[in-house]
Amino acid sequence: MKRILSLAAIEVFVWFVLLVITFLVSKGAIEISFGTATLIERIATQTARLLVSAVLILLWLLAWKKVADLYLSKMLSRHSATA
Amino acid sequence: MLDTYSAISLGITFIATFVATFAATPIVAKAMKSRGIIGVDVHKTSKTEVPEMCGLAILIGLSVGTVVYCLTIPTAVREAAAFIGTVLIAGAIGIIDDLHPLGARTKPLLTALACVPILALGTYVPYPDIPLYGPVRLTIVYPILIPIAIAVTSNSVNMMDVMNGSMPGTVGIIALAIVGVLLWSGDLSTATLASGLLAAMLAFFYFNRFPSRVFGGDTGSLSVGAALGALAILGRIEAVTIVALIPHIMNSFYGLASVRGLRERREILERPTKLLENGMLQASYQKGAPVTLTRLILAAGPLGERDVVRAMMILTAVSSLLSVFTYWIAVSVK
Repeated sequence: MKRILSLAAIEVFVWFVLLVITFLVSKGAIEISFGTATLIERIATQTARLLVSAVLILLWLLAWKKVADLYLSKMLSRHSATA
Repeated sequence: MLDTYSAISLGITFIATFVATFAATPIVAKAMKSRGIIGVDVHKTSKTEVPEMCGLAILIGLSVGTVVYCLTIPTAVREAAAFIGTVLIAGAIGIIDDLHPLGARTKPLLTALACVPILALGTYVPYPDIPLYGPVRLTIVYPILIPIAIAVTSNSVNMMDVMNGSMPGTVGIIALAIVGVLLWSGDLSTATLASGLLAAMLAFFYFNRFPSRVFGGDTGSLSVGAALGALAILGRIEAVTIVALIPHIMNSFYGLASVRGLRERREILERPTKLLENGMLQASYQKGAPVTLTRLILAAGPLGERDVVRAMMILTAVSSLLSVFTYWIAVSVK
């Protein structure tokens, strides 16, 4: 079915963006280091890594939502015009 | 590699869980019906009444399977206890929610508590494997992420349990992918637990498929979602599970984003779909209606309930294949 292909394409897009995001996380967020000698340094390092990763994941979710919203509005307007 | 003893253990756990779930489901359904615990099949013009809360049979099946697993692999009792403990706590929250509906914020908060056995028994490795990078040290933050992970997986599966067979059908496909990935990674004990989940889903799907003879209720969906979360943590396949759950996350995230936050179904006035007189389902054209996976599937035109569930299962099969591919990429990079 054509509708499944369209939604599967969204899934593949979402997956691909996720891979790009994980690449960015590995190149950016994980490289962040405030040292690991003390507990405070470890907490600061891991929190910063998590926050940067969270921002990137939020971007992933927003990109995903944008594509799905576009698909929904396009399909609904097309179908309501023919219904 | 899968040696003979591990293969036998996996096979016995699978069969025991399947048989227990398959045998328990009609008994639980009869008990629920006699106590008046029934739900209305809202996607049918006949508005058939169906026994609710039959997800108890899944809990019974998974418990039997876990006991068998412990008998065949006695060295992995701690891991099994963490798994079944998480499932049973989520199931107990589901029972409470089925009998006395919880608030939209209370439910995720309570399901987050289901991770206590994993934390208490220390059955996690705080080095999640990130595709294209490898393991990342998160010794302090990881335990904080575990409750969030269990709450997300259990509530995402819960929000997907909207049509006949949609929950066991989609989770069964994900469980199959997880078994495959865990066998590939050599984690035979977690693969055996995952095979139990697969067996429970297959047995429950037989009764829950279109036209449903039983409803799992929140008892079933919350516990099954928690089981997926627990398997992801125990098997260190967090990224793989996230990819496999793309349709579920899509469904819950869009739903929440479109109604602006956590809300119970009964609080949302606009429905995402409409039942037509001919029994077909149509996407809502209302702007304020929640954006769910069902509405996305129906946006291209009306479909029958069976076809909507089939579409959900195909989309889950695609995401599950992508999850296996993700694992392959992770292994290749290493």
